Amino acid sequence: MDVLILCAKTAVACLLIVAGGAKLSDPASFASTVRLFIPFRVPWPWLSAIAVAVSLGELAAGLASLTLPAITALNAVVFAIACAFVAVSAVGYAFHRGRSCRCFGALSQRKFDAAGLLRSVVIAGIAAVALPHVGAPALRLDATARVLLLAAGGLLAVAAFTAARARGTGREPEPEVVTQ
Amino acid sequence: MKIPLYLAVAQWTLLFAFGLLLIVVYRQLGRMLHKSDTAAPLGPALGSTAVSLEYSRFADDTVQYLTPGDGQPTLLAFVEPTCLSCEKLVLALGTAEHAGELSGLRVLLLTSSPKSYLKVSDAFRATRLECGRILAQATMEAYGATSTPLLVAIDRDGVVRAAGPAIQLAEVRTFSRACLLPPAAGESIPITATAPLDENDLEAATQAAGATEEGIVR
Repeated sequence: MDVLILCAKTAVACLLIVAGGAKLSDPASFASTVRLFIPFRVPWPWLSAIAVAVSLGELAAGLASLTLPAITALNAVVFAIACAFVAVSAVGYAFHRGRSCRCFGALSQRKFDAAGLLRSVVIAGIAAVALPHVGAPALRLDATARVLLLAAGGLLAVAAFTAARARGTGREPEPEVVTQ
Repeated sequence: MKIPLYLAVAQWTLLFAFGLLLIVVYRQLGRMLHKSDTAAPLGPALGSTAVSLEYSRFADDTVQYLTPGDGQPTLLAFVEPTCLSCEKLVLALGTAEHAGELSGLRVLLLTSSPKSYLKVSDAFRATRLECGRILAQATMEAYGATSTPLLVAIDRDGVVRAAGPAIQLAEVRTFSRACLLPPAAGESIPITATAPLDENDLEAATQAAGATEEGIVR
């Protein structure tokens, strides 16, 4: 049972790291999605700041959950984030169906649809599996192990960032003009 | 030395995560290579005749029918209110229109989004240019509007003279010249690059285009 709980915990942590890293590669694009959920006018710099904050929040939560397994409060935080995913997916499905969710930046072309909502529920379910307490001996890590886990998590974030950046289209070429 | 259970599980999970990421990247690389071989270019073919289109005009919620080649040069902008680059293009078009650089042109902002989406963008709310929603997906496909922003310059005879992405005022000028002044054979219209509109300029440019805190100035 402990193995299952720890698998769920590390899987959701890795998912948050990948999602945060990928979103950070193109905050402007993610800001477009953030804009859909804000019912009033917000300047673009603010939207970009919110998008970066959300991405960094996911990344930080993922890294913290991965490297500090003994802090059980982090499990509740991760579960709350997963519930927020469900809420966002539900609202997106209700009001912005078919729009790109940019949940993993440019890494994914997922949209707000029923499948996306189901995925969010599954993620929340996995996060719920990670909630129960695990015996302290299984979570005992020394400083070296923590640093190595942090480095591996950071590397995962950088890999996701680079992959999403490479996938992004960037600026299109200058317009071409036909002549007669 | 006994490894803690968590460390063993975390190592394997991280390994799987890296593996999955690698698969995703390879899969997308394959798609990109396939697309680069088969994808149609952005915008309609230069020199082709622009197709007619139907759109729902946001100003009065009426269906309009546009027939390029009716004697009036036309500048079509395919834009989305939720896209930052599109907002910059709308502001650039507004600036050009305000300066009278689009006189003699029929300028039309076309989007696939419903009218309710306009409220999220100051630039779209403030623009005095005609704006409408494309009614048929086939129209987007006919114009090759696979991504936004896309500007299409059509001359008075309905021939596509320029097509491609545009954001800056200089690019808008290039496209408007392509509509109005068809060059002689063998010549081309030079494209001059200028500094792009900065995100911080959006508010000032929007106000210059006619928006205030109270509403839109008409």
